[in-house]
Amino acid sequence: MISEFSEQVGPQPLLTVPDHARLNFDLNYFSLRIMSVDYQASFVGHPPGTGYPKLNFVEDSKVVLGDSKEGAFAYVHHLTLYDLEARGFVRPFCMAYISADENKIMLQFQELSHEFSRASECLKTGNRKAFAGELEKKLQDLEYTRNVLHNETEIQKNSNEKGYYTSVAIEKANELANVERCIIEHQDLLMQVRTYSHKKSREASYVSYEPDCDAEQPEVGLEQSLDPGGLPAKANWSNRRSTYTPKFTRAKSAKCFEKKLKTLEELCDVYFFTQTLEQLGNLEKSFRGDVCYLLTRQIEMKLLQQQRITSFLFEDCVAFSDEEQTEKQRHGYKPLPSHNILSQNVVEDPCESNVAASFESYKSCVESVPIKMEQQVNIESCHQAVADSIPCKNLQATLDLLDIEGKEKGSISSGESIEVLGTEKSWPNPIFAKSESQPSLQCQYPEVVKRKLVVTKRTNSEDSIEVLCTTESLIPEDLKASYPSAIYEEEPAVNNVEECGLRADAMQPFTSPQDANEFSNTNIISNPVTLSNLPEPVDSSCCTGKESPIFTESRPTLVTEYSDGIINVPPQRSKSVDKISPGDSVTQGGENGLTNLTADQVLTSCEREDSNLPGNGESGQLLLEDYLDSMSYISTSWCSDRTPSPALPTSPAKRLPGKRKKQCGKNALWFIRQYSFAQQAIFSLLSGRTLVVVGEQEGKVKKLIHALSMFVPNSGRGEDPIKQWVTFPLHIHHLQTWKLIGVQRIVSPVGSSVLHSLNRYSRYISILDSDNKSLRCPPYRGLLITRMADHRTQIKRGSTYYMHVNNLLTRVCSKAFLYTFCHHLHLPIDGRESEESVACRRLNFLKHHLGLMNDDGKIVQYLAELIKLHYLHEPAKGLNQVLRFAYVSSIVCKI
Amino acid sequence: MSSSCPPQSPAVAKTEILLDGESPLVAATFAYWDNILGPRVRHIWAPKNEQMLLSDGEITFLANHTLNGEILRSAKSGAIDVKFFVLAEKGVIIVSLIFDGNMNGDRSTYALSVILPQSELSFYLPLHRVCVDRLTHIIRKGRIWMYKVMNRQGSVLKIIGQSIISFLTTEITPVMELFSSMKAYGVVEEVQIKETVLNDDDIGDSCREDFLHKAISSHLQTCGCSVVIGSNPDKVNKMVRTLCLFLTPAERQCSRLANANGSFRYDPGLFVQGLLKDATGSFVLPFRQIMYAPYPTTHIDVDVNTVKQMAPCHEHIYNQQHYMTSELIVLQKIASEDDMIPDTVIHMDESFTPNLYVCICYLVPNYFLSYFTNRNIFQDVMHRDTLVKSFLDQIFQLKSGLSLRSIFLAQFLLVLYRKAQTVIKYIEDETQKGKKPFKSLRNLKTDLDLTVEGDLSIIMALAEKLKPGLHSFIFGKSFYTSVQERDVLMSL
Repeated sequence: MISEFSEQVGPQPLLTVPDHARLNFDLNYFSLRIMSVDYQASFVGHPPGTGYPKLNFVEDSKVVLGDSKEGAFAYVHHLTLYDLEARGFVRPFCMAYISADENKIMLQFQELSHEFSRASECLKTGNRKAFAGELEKKLQDLEYTRNVLHNETEIQKNSNEKGYYTSVAIEKANELANVERCIIEHQDLLMQVRTYSHKKSREASYVSYEPDCDAEQPEVGLEQSLDPGGLPAKANWSNRRSTYTPKFTRAKSAKCFEKKLKTLEELCDVYFFTQTLEQLGNLEKSFRGDVCYLLTRQIEMKLLQQQRITSFLFEDCVAFSDEEQTEKQRHGYKPLPSHNILSQNVVEDPCESNVAASFESYKSCVESVPIKMEQQVNIESCHQAVADSIPCKNLQATLDLLDIEGKEKGSISSGESIEVLGTEKSWPNPIFAKSESQPSLQCQYPEVVKRKLVVTKRTNSEDSIEVLCTTESLIPEDLKASYPSAIYEEEPAVNNVEECGLRADAMQPFTSPQDANEFSNTNIISNPVTLSNLPEPVDSSCCTGKESPIFTESRPTLVTEYSDGIINVPPQRSKSVDKISPGDSVTQGGENGLTNLTADQVLTSCEREDSNLPGNGESGQLLLEDYLDSMSYISTSWCSDRTPSPALPTSPAKRLPGKRKKQCGKNALWFIRQYSFAQQAIFSLLSGRTLVVVGEQEGKVKKLIHALSMFVPNSGRGEDPIKQWVTFPLHIHHLQTWKLIGVQRIVSPVGSSVLHSLNRYSRYISILDSDNKSLRCPPYRGLLITRMADHRTQIKRGSTYYMHVNNLLTRVCSKAFLYTFCHHLHLPIDGRESEESVACRRLNFLKHHLGLMNDDGKIVQYLAELIKLHYLHEPAKGLNQVLRFAYVSSIVCKI
Repeated sequence: MSSSCPPQSPAVAKTEILLDGESPLVAATFAYWDNILGPRVRHIWAPKNEQMLLSDGEITFLANHTLNGEILRSAKSGAIDVKFFVLAEKGVIIVSLIFDGNMNGDRSTYALSVILPQSELSFYLPLHRVCVDRLTHIIRKGRIWMYKVMNRQGSVLKIIGQSIISFLTTEITPVMELFSSMKAYGVVEEVQIKETVLNDDDIGDSCREDFLHKAISSHLQTCGCSVVIGSNPDKVNKMVRTLCLFLTPAERQCSRLANANGSFRYDPGLFVQGLLKDATGSFVLPFRQIMYAPYPTTHIDVDVNTVKQMAPCHEHIYNQQHYMTSELIVLQKIASEDDMIPDTVIHMDESFTPNLYVCICYLVPNYFLSYFTNRNIFQDVMHRDTLVKSFLDQIFQLKSGLSLRSIFLAQFLLVLYRKAQTVIKYIEDETQKGKKPFKSLRNLKTDLDLTVEGDLSIIMALAEKLKPGLHSFIFGKSFYTSVQERDVLMSL
């Protein structure tokens, strides 16, 4: 509430924020209570010994008081504004934050005081501008009046023939003297205002926006019209003089009750007044709610700032980065423009994203496995253009074309192969950053487009491991660090020397450990790791081994650990996504009948199933649910807002803006209650395996994506791991970036390409079919997610569930942090200790110290790996990661 | 000539209080609203300093100012309203407690105020609640004295009127001493982990593993309120700092280290305070003060490695209210007797035997006496937890001397706060924000993974701090002792 002690009517409320906040509260009475005493003790007028009125720029006073009878308590910020017409030129105002909770006000006193001081300073700055403008106008009036009176006096003087002055002449002379005194007084006042404003603007830590000088606004820019010596700039003044027509004025002011006092808006420059109201509005919103939530939020912010090393995983980075931003702005930093808008545009454009899929120069890093390189048109990359270019009536021809191409794709039928597709240094870059040297607009560079449409084809690579990377970018450094696999074999064993070698090669393109060490040494020298993200130096040897200064030595260990399962268990045949049926809910170890479908069969079956989709019957219900969900926030349309606009960034920091956590929790709660395989789906996400949600209806898929989004850890690379809705075929690099993807199932050539791509990568991803309500993923055995996603939970609200999950995820992060940085855990204690014993020690640590059994350890290991990579390879260092896959058998779950 | 001039305003009586060390307080004042003259200052208490920040006239002006707006006061009978001023023009902050009372037969409005320089704002704010609680209780008792004056006659009026100032002097002096001691020995906002037990290379280096676990666990179960007692100031302060790690920055500023040069008295309202034993190896803990603390207290003796704790928060508050009420009733009763000397009444119960058993004075009414005599207010830590246990097991796995342990501690605290917030939210959901009684504690424990009793106690204590009265609300209006409460918990 803003209130004033009016010299005419006494204390009176002026406005409230928000407008409708009055309810039954007696604002008049409360204004009387808070404004009945002048707590500023300001003195304005003629102080003893001075001839002119002296403005006293008083500091604001802050008072916390209450009315226990009314149950209203207030933080009251007293300030004084200046008005030429007011008594003593001052108008006492106050801004009050009124609450029913006294404790809240005292606990938030510092914050309230700070925010109100900002708003007050803004208002006072605007008032000084307006006041100075009024003074200038008044001066012009007085000068004009003086000229008129002077002329009249001269006339009187000239007409004086008798040698003495008439009473009229004397009166005119007195009036002229009075006006001249007024001019001097007003000039003095103007100088005081300007001097003070200049002083304040030098002291202010912020640079206040000055509206453009407008000829129609004489008061604008007054504060800038002061020369360094504090004197008025004559040029500006004279310029403004020309815009105002002075009028004759009487030196005597009107009676107190005759004059009309200015409103608050008139007392202040419009720009600053609007800013003040905006600040007060924000203030009211930020302090809205129960004090316990405000306190917890503040404590959380402080604690999260201490743990940046892990908070990137699940935290809403917006909150504390905003605080930092605010803090920086307080210290005069200017906000930087958002850089990820551009990159987001690129990501959003499926056509452009395909630019990255330049497989033409891929070569095998596995020298022992011959890979036949062929060139063909990449349907995935150009399907959009094809679909656009082919008329609808020629659909059959298109399907035929796709059939042919589908049959030609060797990787589809390579069911017995192990495929590790390495992403190389350069290819993600065109997707996520437009550089001058590599323009991404295909239309401008048709030859580039043509080149990028050419892809490699692996025709016969059974039982092989393949690492694909571009020829020009075969830099081992790029493949050093890798995100861990989401997939683990159930029976890890090492008895195949050749495959073991392949595995090692697959993870690192070194031919020998010596090479790796040499390279590691080189890397350390050339890229020293700075621990800038920690307040104090963290023992990097904790995560990489203290004995060795080379942190890369730990990687082979991790590689071995993660890829243990790759060796002996042959890859399971991938099932067609469309062929998941209730009878398939067993492990696929011995099944291969369904996987021998050719692409046209897949397409046909897809079409057949699409025609009988059960989702149609649920659409009404879903819409109703969506409607009810959106009703929770009348002011915000969740579904529409949730859909990322191509022009807006979808970085992880923007994933869960503000209050939408509640909706996210609500959807998650719905998901775990409705889907019996929720734990498996969550396990996939938490262990780093990409989960693809396939469905016909966009709303339904998005709702599932939304429900699962809170379980997706961020990589810390500034990329959003969630893609809500994809209508183009997935590529291997998408799986590196996106960990939760919504894919459109549609009966069309494009749709068939999409499903085709899903089939291609189905061994590396988990697939949730929203239409059939089935999930194909690795099984989960553990307690962690059981606690997190118990369908019997009695939690009633989504926001509560969100908090519960957030809390459990924090605990998991804490365990992952401990696992990452635990002293002497990841390296041999001495040279004689074998890798197996180190691995055994790690497992024991997970089991006994962290209490993690079975698959829970995999979650912590994955998160630990993310922490390590984020810590060692910050995005600024320009290092990229390798996408790594390993096999693990999947099961099919169905409701 | 002199008869024609108006009589000079009599100077306001002033008491100078000698304090050890620097005092952040400028003055304390007792003012009242005179129906003819308006606000008047009755008495000023000021620390005995050579440098005076404000003159008596300025103090009087400020004290009057705090009462100026109270002509409109329409508070309920017995209400004590708190006003807080930050007057930048004068460079002072004023805490003023406004109350109604009867003195000299007139019902009027009074103000008991404390004035500090504005530069002490950040020092004062964490102590605001302590200060207000202390002044509030002083006013409650003082009001009884003022009321009794009304029922007396003649010359007795003046004597008792003086005794109010005397009474206030005895009560305000400890408040000033508290501020002075906090200025010199208050714990800083940011505690360095290297100054604590958590910086040891291994658990058990400084103190026994089980003792540390018990101490931290009980400290958290009693809302972060602990008394650390010992003979060695370094040892005591190390434990004080260790416990402060588990508090918020504001709560740390409301904690006090032990003074190696001379032991402090126990001060209710501080979160953690270190106290030194005397030459005989004992420390007298005042029962009355312990009961006035806003939260239950954990008693940690670093000499003999013992940890005792008071009853849970809701039970402590129940006891506290009963005890305070009883004390006021007794005061009312005694004050009516002519031969009673106030100081005797106030301070006769401040004996507390070092064996941690309650020494009950005769002032406590019989019905309450029986309750306290049959119970030891400090008991063994009954509830074992897994939260602190696993935390201690794990944090010593990280290398000391780096920021790793600080980060891990921050993660642990974040988990606790988030769990507490989830508990609050869960209960709000179940009860429709308090409209319905809470009946499903079993579900809460299962859903939020709080099945271990110690874990629940820790989280509930934290939730109690965030949302005062939560614990009492869960168990409804009826009062349960800890044992009864446990029975209730088991039966759910």
